[in-house]
Amino acid sequence: MFRNFFKKSAFLVFSAMILFMMTGCSATTRDISPDEAIHYDEGYDFTDKKAIVSDLVESLLNKPPLVSRLDDRPVLIIYGVANRTSEHIETDGITDDLRQEILQSGKARFVNKVQRGNIQSESDYQYGGNVSAETRLQRARQVGAEYMLTGTLRSIKKKQPKQFRLTKKTLQYYSLTLELTDLQTGLIEWTDSTEIIRESSKPFIGW
Amino acid sequence: MPDKMKLFYVVRYFKWACLLIFLFSALISGCTSAKLNMARDAFYNGQIDQASGALSSAEDVSTRDQLLYFMEKGAILHHAGDYQGSIDFLLNAAALMQDQDVISAGQQTASMVTSEWLTDYKGEYAERLLVHTYLMMDFLMLGNHESALVEAKQALEVYDTYPEACFADYFTRALIAHCYEAENEINGAYIEYKKLAELMGDPAPVARKLCTLGRRLGFDDEVEHFRQFIPEAELKRNVRPAGELIVFVSQGKSPVKIPHNIVLPPSIRFSFSTYEDRSGCLVPPSVGPLADAGPSDMITTDVGEILKASLKERLVAVIAKETARVVAKEAIAHNINDDNLEVLVRLVFFLMEVPDTRCWETLPATLTIIRVPLSPGANQIHLNIMGQTVTLPKIDIHPGNGSFYHYYSIRNGMGSFSSMGDAQSGN
Repeated sequence: MFRNFFKKSAFLVFSAMILFMMTGCSATTRDISPDEAIHYDEGYDFTDKKAIVSDLVESLLNKPPLVSRLDDRPVLIIYGVANRTSEHIETDGITDDLRQEILQSGKARFVNKVQRGNIQSESDYQYGGNVSAETRLQRARQVGAEYMLTGTLRSIKKKQPKQFRLTKKTLQYYSLTLELTDLQTGLIEWTDSTEIIRESSKPFIGW
Repeated sequence: MPDKMKLFYVVRYFKWACLLIFLFSALISGCTSAKLNMARDAFYNGQIDQASGALSSAEDVSTRDQLLYFMEKGAILHHAGDYQGSIDFLLNAAALMQDQDVISAGQQTASMVTSEWLTDYKGEYAERLLVHTYLMMDFLMLGNHESALVEAKQALEVYDTYPEACFADYFTRALIAHCYEAENEINGAYIEYKKLAELMGDPAPVARKLCTLGRRLGFDDEVEHFRQFIPEAELKRNVRPAGELIVFVSQGKSPVKIPHNIVLPPSIRFSFSTYEDRSGCLVPPSVGPLADAGPSDMITTDVGEILKASLKERLVAVIAKETARVVAKEAIAHNINDDNLEVLVRLVFFLMEVPDTRCWETLPATLTIIRVPLSPGANQIHLNIMGQTVTLPKIDIHPGNGSFYHYYSIRNGMGSFSSMGDAQSGN
């Protein structure tokens, strides 16, 4: 009887182990809320982008010169965010989000720098003889930018010194600095920065 | 035990031993590296397309050799002039190197009674640095200075992690300095040029840069110090170049690892590998007569020297693991009670002890960066590389356009001109 019980238990344990292994190996997918903060390592990720953009846009919109220009919605141009980190980060994503949040606030407008070439070619087409004079756009009516928005993303990485241990810790620091420059005077009218400091640990030994 | 029975067991053990050895040999050599070897042979025969085609899929190469796959393919595509393709593969190599920081307990345990071939190839320290070097060159050739600077910073991390193994890679250090300079980060560029001057022991090849950048930073006392390394006649002429041509010259073949064995009775076999040179004495490249813009500067890395330094840096770890493996194998063999079985186990262990000779084989023997100042107007530059004169396309420099960089990458591995590409950028 005992032998039978042992056999049954062994079978159950074995089955449970197989089931556990199969569950662990199976592919899974799940939807994640854009607001959920998930970090797999110390590196820059989409959660960081959202956090730094919203911090800086809040500061830009609530401090001079934009806070005092509620009536006339000044025109801005974004000249990109320079990547000075040691990672390949697509900073166009940051500028896109900055532009979107500022536009949605209704407190400023943007010159479309990226589409300048296409605007020019469309204008040339309309004046090429195919478009009627009444419907074609009027040249020299584009709006000039008053302010230029630029930024720099920097990082500093520090690794734990070599010593006997089972995990390796890394400290990562990121800062995004934005500047608003008055194109007429060349003066920096606003600047602010936001920082992220993150520590992560990685095991030395795995399978 | 009757003799007939004994013979039966001996034959059975022998069959098992043969099967094990066959399986192990097939595992570590045969199909795993066949495609890599085909690609390397084609590359050095000047058949770049065939070389690239041989490595068309990562699945053709063993998972243990994935890093080599990315490295070899990246270098082949660089010399084929496909810089974006090279970037894609070398970025994969860089990502894999980071993942490989975690030591695999399973592989290490298996390799303790077999061979190093069972572990993932992680790259020598110098090879890890050279992945970033090639990425920097690729990005510069495409005119993407910002990404080149990202790679420069990653290369600096490798320098900091393995200073002894990598310090003699002057080419990479010069490239890092240039990446900072091209992005107008002149303080970073100055620091790197100064480090390079200290490491080379002779500041002359970077003295002009140190004086130009030092003056912009207001380091007057240091400028005075570095001026003494510039010829007097040049200082009197005081000509400022309107642009700069930067040529990356790769010459010869890098050394490869060759196996060595030390055999001790009864069946102890220590196996290890060392680098052996494949290129003889190489004549450094030179620039033909230049116009009035000034003399060119040249900085070279002996790739073999840094690879050998990397292997030497790992020597203690290699000896410790080799000793542990020998002890483990001896302990297993010693505890077998059957004499015939012990002999066969010893034979298997002996034959399994194969030195790990994996390495990045499409690297050149030397890497040289040549900086040629350009005068306003048309500049026709001739380079002398391995007894051949290479004439670069004419470069027109228009004064007042700021400083322009023109890049070329030339490989002259087999005495024939392999590939060339160019990009330009102004700042």
